[in-house]
Amino acid sequence: MKKAAEKIDRRKFLKIMAGTSAYAALGPVRPAGAQPYRFGKLADTTRCIGCKRCMSACKRWNKLKVERDELVSDRETHLSAQNWVVVNFRADTMNRTRRTYQHWACQHCIQPACAGACPVKAITKLPHGYVVVNEKKCIGCRYCYQSCPFKVPQFDFEKRVTRKCTLCFDRILINYSKPACVAACPAGALSFGYKHEMILEAKKRLYKVKSAKHILGLKEAGGTDMLTILTAKPEDLGLVVAPPKVVNQNLDKLRITAAGFMSASALAGMMYLYRTLTGNNSR
Amino acid sequence: MKRLIKENLDLLLNDMERFPGYYVWIGTLIALIVLGNYALLMSLIYSLEIFEFSIKIPWGTMVSNYVFLVGSSTGLCIVSSLGLVFGLKRYEPIAKRGYFMALITIIFGMASIMLHLGHPERSPIYSALTPNLRSAMWWMGIVYPPYIASLAVCFWLLARQGLAKTARESVGLQSKIYGLMALEGLKAYLYRILPLERLEAKTYRLLPLEKMGLALDSDGADLRWARIIGALALISGLLAYTVESTLFAHAEARPFWYGALIPVDFFLGAALCGLAWIMAAGIITYKVKGEVIPARLRDLFYEMAQILALLLSVELPFIAYKMGHGLFEPAKGKTIMLLLKGPFSPAFWVFEIAIGIVLPIFILLYAARQKKMTGVLVASVMVLIGYFVKRYVFVVASQVYPVITKGLPSYLPAFMEVLLIIGIFGGLLLAFTLGEEYLPLKDEDKPVTL
Repeated sequence: MKKAAEKIDRRKFLKIMAGTSAYAALGPVRPAGAQPYRFGKLADTTRCIGCKRCMSACKRWNKLKVERDELVSDRETHLSAQNWVVVNFRADTMNRTRRTYQHWACQHCIQPACAGACPVKAITKLPHGYVVVNEKKCIGCRYCYQSCPFKVPQFDFEKRVTRKCTLCFDRILINYSKPACVAACPAGALSFGYKHEMILEAKKRLYKVKSAKHILGLKEAGGTDMLTILTAKPEDLGLVVAPPKVVNQNLDKLRITAAGFMSASALAGMMYLYRTLTGNNSR
Repeated sequence: MKRLIKENLDLLLNDMERFPGYYVWIGTLIALIVLGNYALLMSLIYSLEIFEFSIKIPWGTMVSNYVFLVGSSTGLCIVSSLGLVFGLKRYEPIAKRGYFMALITIIFGMASIMLHLGHPERSPIYSALTPNLRSAMWWMGIVYPPYIASLAVCFWLLARQGLAKTARESVGLQSKIYGLMALEGLKAYLYRILPLERLEAKTYRLLPLEKMGLALDSDGADLRWARIIGALALISGLLAYTVESTLFAHAEARPFWYGALIPVDFFLGAALCGLAWIMAAGIITYKVKGEVIPARLRDLFYEMAQILALLLSVELPFIAYKMGHGLFEPAKGKTIMLLLKGPFSPAFWVFEIAIGIVLPIFILLYAARQKKMTGVLVASVMVLIGYFVKRYVFVVASQVYPVITKGLPSYLPAFMEVLLIIGIFGGLLLAFTLGEEYLPLKDEDKPVTL
């Protein structure tokens, strides 16, 4: 018995070697996009009851103003400098009877286009996943709004800076507590945790819940740290549709800048040609 | 003191009686500037929001006006370089006016964008402290100051002899001011207080400046230096406008702005604008002053009119290609339909196509053939108006999708926004008028020869 355990024949040795190398190559099986210490927020619109407590909690924590009747009615609310999170009652254009509340906020892209557009680096992607605007640095040019695939950053006309959802990075890092909106949700429609756990959870719900049809944020704009379970495709719900690739990547910027240089040199070349052809002979 | 004021007031009143039109014009421009300042003051007192006709369209007329003025500046620099940098002698008479106008248009364009920023005072500080090399807007802040500086120096070098001449011919305070502008006697003063002679000798030993005619006291050094600085202005201007166009072309989330065609569009537009500005300003100046345009300038204007017609006829198929190409992309298609059939269609068909391109082609060709200067003037002004509206549509219409699906409250700029733009144009025209009046911009002042 002992001998058999100690004895490693050729076949067993090859098996072990193949297994080890395969393990080394493939690694331990992990959910896609799993990164330790990367947080994510999950909004489940199939569970949302439209109480708008997330909006009021966000306003309370971030000291934002309440405008008119936005917290008590089903009137369409837009993101603004005072509204970092909105809940809107939307119908699926394919099936008008199917109506849900849509929780909409900054999607916290994995590669944010706004951070690449800001001339003074006022917008940064923090390592835990939050995309944050430094309001003391912002020059108020609104270029981030133009480059954002979800059209989220909004200009505050009083402070003259751009403001948006910070995913409550000031709560999490200091108090180890959830973002204000997640903590306030009474229906369990919002959850917050490690990104890979959130992805697993979202996929589980997509599989289990019948009305869940789409997870926003897995592919849109190259992936975002906020995931939303939708009951239909985003374009049918009237949401801003982002392309399924990283927007404003550096290589693409270089390509377009090269086109600019080429047209500038073509213009200079034409001027030279004009000079050579017409010369200095007076007409 | 009282006597002095009375004397000067009498002089001014006499002048007003003799040239009432000039003073009415200046008064109107000052009134426009006051209106612009009123809008600016209101924006400071209340909120920047008064400049926005929709919160979803954060870039409005001020940005489009900026793009228009900066494009004009680049175009003026390009056209002026034909004479100074590329050495086409028949283009030399327009160089001084061209560089002056390039300078004032870029300055007022920059004013337009600075007033649009929420915190303009932070932008130089944080651009220096935390630069973002991936942002076209940061590069814009880097490339424009050298452009403006080289334009200013180039114009000064071209105008210096004229300024010095005026200083010698006039008396009193006027002579002193012109002398100061020409920096007459500065060299002698600096040599008196600083040991510059040794430095100069050393520089001449190291660099063959004397042989190239670039030494400070050699004949025509001003002009040669102007040529070098003019080349720098052209290069930096082209660079800067490249960056300006890529600012829009990088914005992938705005489908109508995005793409490699935009820089081509921008440079074509800059060339059009430059030619139109030069012709319009030149002809208007001669007409208002009641002077006869010299024959060689007249010939040049007709030649430029033909080139403008040629460029316009290139622009037309280019627009057709840009629009047709975009129609097949779902993201761009909606915006393009806004221009072709939607609320922006009057701006597109009437202003951009008819007034901006098609009519001017015929008028320019007719005027150049029949030698009608008024026709050239009218067509140039039409091109400028069409191009201004084109830039407005380009900036505003692109922002409608994908956020606004149910229609905008208005497609016209807000009242305060219009006042501010009026103020900026008032300032631009005032600067131009004063420049024509007091600076040696006139062409036959001193025929430039290199």
